[in-house]
Amino acid sequence: MAKPVAEQGSNVLTQHSAAHRAVLDRLLELLPDDCVITDAAGLRPYETDGLTAIREMPWVVALPETEEQVAAIVVCCAEHGVPVIARGAGTGLSGGARPHQHGVVLGLSKMSESLTVDPENRVARVQPGVRNLAITQAAERHGLYYAPDPSSQIACSIGGNVAENAGGVHCLKYGLTVNNVLGVRMVTAGGEIVELGGAVYDNPGPDLLALLCGSEGMLGIVTEVTVALLPSPETKTVLLAAFSHVVDAGNAVAAIIAAGIIPAGMEMMDKMAVQAAEAFAKAGYPLDAEAILIIELDGADAELATLNDQVTELLRTHGAYRIDEAHDASQQARLWKGRKSAFPAVGRLSPDYLCMDGTIPRKTLPTVLSEIDVISQTFGLAVANVFHAADGNLHPLILFDANVPGQTDKAMAMGAKILEACVAAGGTVTGEHGVGVEKLDTMCVQFTSEELAQFFRLKAALDPQALLNPGKGIPTLTRCGELGGMHVHKGRLPFPELERF
Amino acid sequence: MPSDQNGLLIEQIKSANETQQRLAIQGHASKSSWLPVSSSDGVLALDEHSGILQYEPEELVITARSGTSLAEINAILAKRQQQLSCEPPQLGAGDGTRGSGTLGGAVACGLSGPGRPWLGAVRDAVLGVELINGAGEYLKFGGQVMKNVAGYDVSRLQSGAWGALGVMSVISLRVQPTVAEECTVGASLSVDQSLSLCAQLGQRNLPITASYWQGGDFCLRLAGNQSGVAAACQALADRGLHQRQAEPQLWQQLKDHEHPFFQRPNSDSSSHRLWRVVTPLAATMPDFLTDPDKDALIMWGGGLRWMYHDDAAQVGEYSKAVGGWCWAIGESMPIAAMQRQIMSQLAKAFDPRGVFASPLGIAAVDA
Ligand SMILES: Cc1cc2nc3c(=O)[nH]c(=O)nc-3n(C[C@H](O)[C@H](O)[C@H](O)COP(=O)(O)OP(=O)(O)OC[C@H]3O[C@@H](n4cnc5c(N)ncnc54)[C@H](O)[C@@H]3O)c2cc1C
Repeated sequence: MAKPVAEQGSNVLTQHSAAHRAVLDRLLELLPDDCVITDAAGLRPYETDGLTAIREMPWVVALPETEEQVAAIVVCCAEHGVPVIARGAGTGLSGGARPHQHGVVLGLSKMSESLTVDPENRVARVQPGVRNLAITQAAERHGLYYAPDPSSQIACSIGGNVAENAGGVHCLKYGLTVNNVLGVRMVTAGGEIVELGGAVYDNPGPDLLALLCGSEGMLGIVTEVTVALLPSPETKTVLLAAFSHVVDAGNAVAAIIAAGIIPAGMEMMDKMAVQAAEAFAKAGYPLDAEAILIIELDGADAELATLNDQVTELLRTHGAYRIDEAHDASQQARLWKGRKSAFPAVGRLSPDYLCMDGTIPRKTLPTVLSEIDVISQTFGLAVANVFHAADGNLHPLILFDANVPGQTDKAMAMGAKILEACVAAGGTVTGEHGVGVEKLDTMCVQFTSEELAQFFRLKAALDPQALLNPGKGIPTLTRCGELGGMHVHKGRLPFPELERF
Repeated sequence: MPSDQNGLLIEQIKSANETQQRLAIQGHASKSSWLPVSSSDGVLALDEHSGILQYEPEELVITARSGTSLAEINAILAKRQQQLSCEPPQLGAGDGTRGSGTLGGAVACGLSGPGRPWLGAVRDAVLGVELINGAGEYLKFGGQVMKNVAGYDVSRLQSGAWGALGVMSVISLRVQPTVAEECTVGASLSVDQSLSLCAQLGQRNLPITASYWQGGDFCLRLAGNQSGVAAACQALADRGLHQRQAEPQLWQQLKDHEHPFFQRPNSDSSSHRLWRVVTPLAATMPDFLTDPDKDALIMWGGGLRWMYHDDAAQVGEYSKAVGGWCWAIGESMPIAAMQRQIMSQLAKAFDPRGVFASPLGIAAVDA
């Protein structure tokens, strides 16, 4: 087995090793010329994903058009110990698709043609590069849709959704990617093709499909996805409720859930986020509110009428001073537009922003928000909060200016503090955006050295040479040790007979 | 009595490492007849490791030790109008000599109830586990929040592992509010009629949460708020499906395998080999069943088909041809070679010395 190039000395950096030449030759043999990118101008777009603060020029980008080509590329890379970095649409927000200077970026954008809707079995079978929204668009004429709808859905790929276990604004009721994907075909690190699940609702043995969801391209390359489709809801209502206190909005969310209601979506925005969104989208948001809730209810006509009254009543008793109801599609779209464009809206307030992605138990929201306030004052950078209130997923957006020396580092450090607060509240450092390279350090806070070592053994079980997206997702014990965050229990390392990672 | 047995469990695992003994993880042994087990293995008993650790209805999460009985969990949830919507089976509840299943067993076996396509699987409800691996290390994965992508999803991976990847000590599950109204509608239909009706209705926005066909009788369970269920009943009556009185028992019997179909008397001369065949919803029925009215029971809108049949090759070919899989209850779980290899590697990653004797048999294959 060849020693991974990533572990060889840095001299291979400048001059291509024999291994690299062999891989490049093979790529040119396997793919049409325009599917192998090596020139600086062509490589530039692949330098970064949605986490633009971190960049790296790839060595080569390969754009396979078939599953066989993917498998052949992986086999060749494995033979020569060259890393493989899968890439969908590059909208990831944690640097998951960040290139590797010695690795092949495997762009799956050309595998986006095939999309078969099977209405009787209520599934769609699609290639990994198909865009999330394209699935719903194809299913619509059968009265069906694909539920997970990340805000990036016009651009992001279904393969990327599986790899990040992407969410959206309808997760509490309809689940994340993992809850809506029934099957995946993947190419293993050894270049073999495996089918996990299918158009069926149950599979034998440990749930490999669930394991693959959220594995950030580190356990296999997704080459086909079978998703479950749902009947489109007959009717929707969108409510906007304005509050003078963040705590009241939080209590209203808890009360709705305690009443046994699971809204299709329930989003919260704080004052700063509301003001940014309103300036950008003119959604008619109340500028004097300390917090707003946007609640979507869906279902059959008959069901919805009573639900609507129940929720409105709860909002009122919990201090909503204004409630707008949107029944027709254009009004609803307007209310959602503010929320869905919150990121770019905040982007207009400030030259740069960093989007955090902690999840917290809903009840801790008021405490965590006030902690974020303190952290923001300490670091001297402003924060706008956008919150998937229904499922506890918090997106604080940290405003900064990368052109001011030191501010990028400051924003990153501040983000880490916020995530630590989320972990301390009983939550997690990432709800839906993944660890990528961005949250490696905060992972050291959430997991002990034994847990991290277990992750590495799991990874090694599927990818013994550690060639699939190396350096992402799980921090090495050394890295955590250097941060001083390592929790070595009683001075003993787990499995002393195994090599260290 | 609720008690924390972690210390004891870790000690037993460590000593099994030294003595090279294999341990079969056991809750209430309610599913012990579902897969073949080796009698030479020791038992790692979990039934005393019980107790609900945290339950906050507004957070929609319950956290309990894995040995807690499902009966206890269901009871506490019911008090707050909540439930496990994945409806894990409580097997042998009527027998009275033993418990009818623990939380740990429910997650490890991953058997989902009658609502699977509409309400989700056991694995969908899993939010986090605290796990003891083969080296006796205590590890926490996932947590109590719904959205969590920090690290690999080791928690959901446990579902269906039948104990091959460690001992789950504490489990957090997502819970759902119970619905205000539930009713059953039904009609006499042939198996093919019922499958095509299911396929049609499945594309419409109806509050269906379970389906059943057996012996020419077809039923749907509807659940939701009062006005929604009433409107759906009306719409379905127009299609010849009429409301049945007092049917909740049917769904409970299906969930717990107490339906008469599953208790075929030994005196019956026909086949006793019971297959659990998982298929795409609208797959056609196999032609080898001479009397589907007697030998088949269909759930999950067509996605789960129980069949009595002796010829394993025929059932196997059928399942493969329609894109599904099959398992004869009491016999070993069929897992394709590539998947088995990955699972064996994973078992080694969690349990390098092969301490856990899972009836899945994936650790036994030494690659
Ligand atoms: C404006 C904006 C809004 C967003 N909103 C949301 C949101 O609401 N919810 C949410 O969850 N996310 C959101 N995101 C994040 C992002 O869109 C998702 O993570 C998405 O799933 C990434 O898909 P992608 O195709 O762009 O993947 P990429 O960014 O290309 O890759 C992401 C990861 O997946 C891996 N990968 C990609 N394709 C494959 C494959 N075929 N096989 C194996 N691994 C693969 C990569 O290696 C990488 O680790 C948002 C991003 C932006 C820019």
